[in-house]
Amino acid sequence: MYQPLLTSRYLMTRMIPLLAVAAVALCVALVIVVISVMTGFLDMIRSSGQTLMGDVVITYPIRGIPYYDDLITKLQSKADVKAATPVVDTWGLLRMPYPAGDAKESEQVQIWGVDPSSFSQVTGFTDTLKWSEIPSDTAAMMRWDRMRDRAPALVASLDIPSKIRLLQESAPDEVEGAEPSVLRKLAENATTEDLTKRMLHLTWAPEKLRVVIGDDGMRDFDSFDSRLGDSGLVLADGRSLQRNSRPAIVSGLHVSKANERTSTGDYAISGGGYWWMPNHEATLTTLPIDSRGGMLDPKSIVLPFANEFASGVFLIDQTRIMVPLNIVQDLTNLDAAEIVSPDDPTRVVGTTPAKATMILVRGQNGVDPKQLRELVHNTYGEFESACASAGRNVPRLDRDPGLRVLTWEEQNASFIGPVEKERELMRTLFSIVYLVCGALIVAIFWAIVYEKTRDIGILRSVGASRMGIVWIFLLYGLFVGIFGAITGVGLGWLVTVNMPGIHEQMSHPPLWLGIAMLACAGGVILWTALQLRSGRLLPLLLGILVAIVLTGMGAGELLIRSSGGIVLWDPAVYYFTDVPDTVDWPSAWITALGAVICSVIAAAIPAARAADIDPVGALRYE
Amino acid sequence: MSSPLLEVCDLRKTYRLGHVDVPVLKGCSLKVDRGEWLAILGSSGSGKSTLLHLLGGLDRPDTGGGDIRYEGRPLAKRSTRSLDRYRARTVGFVFQFYHLLPELTVLENAMLPGLVPGGIGGGPARRRVRELLDRFGLSHRLHHRPRELSGGERQRTAIARALANDPQILLADEPTGNLDVHTGKEILDLLAEAHRDGLTIVMVTHDQQIANRADRDGRLVDGVLGPAAAAGSAQSVEDSPTLA
Ligand SMILES: Nc1ncnc2c1ncn2[C@@H]1O[C@H](COP(=O)(O)OP(=O)(O)OP(=O)(O)O)[C@@H](O)[C@H]1O
Ligand SMILES: [Mg+2]
Repeated sequence: MYQPLLTSRYLMTRMIPLLAVAAVALCVALVIVVISVMTGFLDMIRSSGQTLMGDVVITYPIRGIPYYDDLITKLQSKADVKAATPVVDTWGLLRMPYPAGDAKESEQVQIWGVDPSSFSQVTGFTDTLKWSEIPSDTAAMMRWDRMRDRAPALVASLDIPSKIRLLQESAPDEVEGAEPSVLRKLAENATTEDLTKRMLHLTWAPEKLRVVIGDDGMRDFDSFDSRLGDSGLVLADGRSLQRNSRPAIVSGLHVSKANERTSTGDYAISGGGYWWMPNHEATLTTLPIDSRGGMLDPKSIVLPFANEFASGVFLIDQTRIMVPLNIVQDLTNLDAAEIVSPDDPTRVVGTTPAKATMILVRGQNGVDPKQLRELVHNTYGEFESACASAGRNVPRLDRDPGLRVLTWEEQNASFIGPVEKERELMRTLFSIVYLVCGALIVAIFWAIVYEKTRDIGILRSVGASRMGIVWIFLLYGLFVGIFGAITGVGLGWLVTVNMPGIHEQMSHPPLWLGIAMLACAGGVILWTALQLRSGRLLPLLLGILVAIVLTGMGAGELLIRSSGGIVLWDPAVYYFTDVPDTVDWPSAWITALGAVICSVIAAAIPAARAADIDPVGALRYE
Repeated sequence: MSSPLLEVCDLRKTYRLGHVDVPVLKGCSLKVDRGEWLAILGSSGSGKSTLLHLLGGLDRPDTGGGDIRYEGRPLAKRSTRSLDRYRARTVGFVFQFYHLLPELTVLENAMLPGLVPGGIGGGPARRRVRELLDRFGLSHRLHHRPRELSGGERQRTAIARALANDPQILLADEPTGNLDVHTGKEILDLLAEAHRDGLTIVMVTHDQQIANRADRDGRLVDGVLGPAAAAGSAQSVEDSPTLA
């Protein structure tokens, strides 16, 4: 076998095959990164879909399903159903607490009335709660507010040792090394005004304040907001949709404009922590619709915020708020009510039951959503006939097109569909990239075959067959493909797993990078200047080109840096707040294999040409 | 006496240049006996190389344009594969311009024929070629690239390559054409040595001086092979007007 020898020599001794390898590697890396990100998206949508709404949903918008408790009991009696929960969803306006003053801003919100305990069993709601305690800035601000009222009283209650501790904690430098007697004097002579100032100052460092007033004093001081003393309360409030025993809102993290996503992916609360929603209240207004579709008088209610949730799906975090079920039923006139006689409004002729516009169902682990949908569908049928025999009026599967049983995937089709389409589009677009890559290999190998015409004649003269010649170039293509694919997979993996890091670097371009690039450009210019003496044109041209590119990149980097970086991953554009960073390995290997096959196929064209070369003609070359 | 090793009968070869047929060989006949060294003289363009390529199975004559028999068997009847094998095992080519592969070292170039299917195999070829190169005074050049060698050294490498598979016949196309007289003589000495060891050689040249080294010579004129014109030729050519 002479082919491996020749192939390896052809590979090692020239630059062009490196170009082919680089082309394959770049193509593979590009496809892997793009597909991985898109797959990451889809996976996030999938998991968030289930996190947010369980596996299967029964929807009957606006008018709602009555006697839903019976339905849920029926559903939960099935072995495959883990839990089910009623939801009332509607749209409304949320008058936000900000800005200070009377002209408040309002946000349009999608209101989900939920029963917190069963809702948490069906969805991953509790895991999405954002705040597990009061942010430290906010806590300091709350204490400072409180201290303004309490400081004079507190100072008056301080004994001399406490005052000494106050002096020490608030200004350690001033009293460092002072004799105890001197300290005592200072403490005795300190004015109330001075000590008040110091107390206010200490609210920013709660640990120091604790040293001064002691644990009991601290507990007493913090008692104005129970959440300060017991940090678990913040989460508990969120879970129960209550605050201080009042029904409360848990809003999506992006509903409030006060939560700003920083370029590092964290959240900054504007006003230095002041506009932390769970410290505020908002007014929720809805326009209920009557049974004939007409608009009724708007209804409003003032509710405190209990917590905020971050599902990771921007579209939802931006618009959705969770409110206790009975509140929303009331706001939408879907609550239980008495029916009065049209002739005599004081005579009660019956009652209408409370209704829910959605029933979310979660299957046991491992139950296929499609199967579960069948089960839920049939269960609704049972419920329907049970109601019919009891003389109760419920929406019917065969009569009400508005009543639908859907898997979460179908329910979110408008949402998942585009991303799936995008991924397909990307695949298609990048198969064109493959074609370009293949054409490049054909061109490069064509040139190599042309250059090697005489060699082919020689090989034929020593007995090589035409197929033998074909194999040289196929093997060549195979090697280029394999090297390119492996390099490409490595590159794609590196880029993908470092995606969040790269993203962060983009938003905070490091100074050294720009400077390093400019320095390299300088080096290249110097080298080019030295090459000038040799009088050769190619190094000169290459040097100038590289210098221009490096300077451009360096300057661009510094420019971006000076303008504060770019947030490539604007969550408003990409639905998700996190950047996918896992490689879709099955796709990656398929891509790599595709690249190898493409390379071999591309190499086959020049190889066939090589086989057709007339050896006598080839040997005439000199 | 046994039949000749190589027998050519009324060989014709025509090239087409555009719409014009250019007949190069117009009925060429010759016989080469085993162990013989035959020189073919001819002016430039007379078709010497063409004849050698045909003898080596690298090209095929015109249809109906005579045939070439090796050990009595016509080459025309052979399959492509068997012809590949014929080139690999039976004949060895030496060219005027050496024709070495620039990417391979001297040793690799020389042992290349051993590696093709039908060759004697990598290991045996390596041993044989090392010995030959040693004999040709190239043992210190084994791992050099052709471009680092002189013309004489390159041609010696090419001869080692031609002999790698221990062929029956060496086909040499102006093996000294690109070398000075002194180096040319060295190359001819190598061929003479191989000939002494029993190798059959068909050598093409336009130089009577060089042809004189052969056992016998013939002249290719007007596409037909005839006896060498030079009366001073050391060898007596048989009476026949052709070399057959
Ligand atoms: N592939 C070809 N196509 C057309 N004509 C060809 C081809 N090969 C050879 N010829 C012609 O055939 C004739 C003989 O060529 P050939 O190379 O055999 O001559 P030669 O005797 O070896 O000459 P030289 O001594 O210069 O090497 C020449 O006129 C050449 O132009
Ligand atoms: Mg010639």
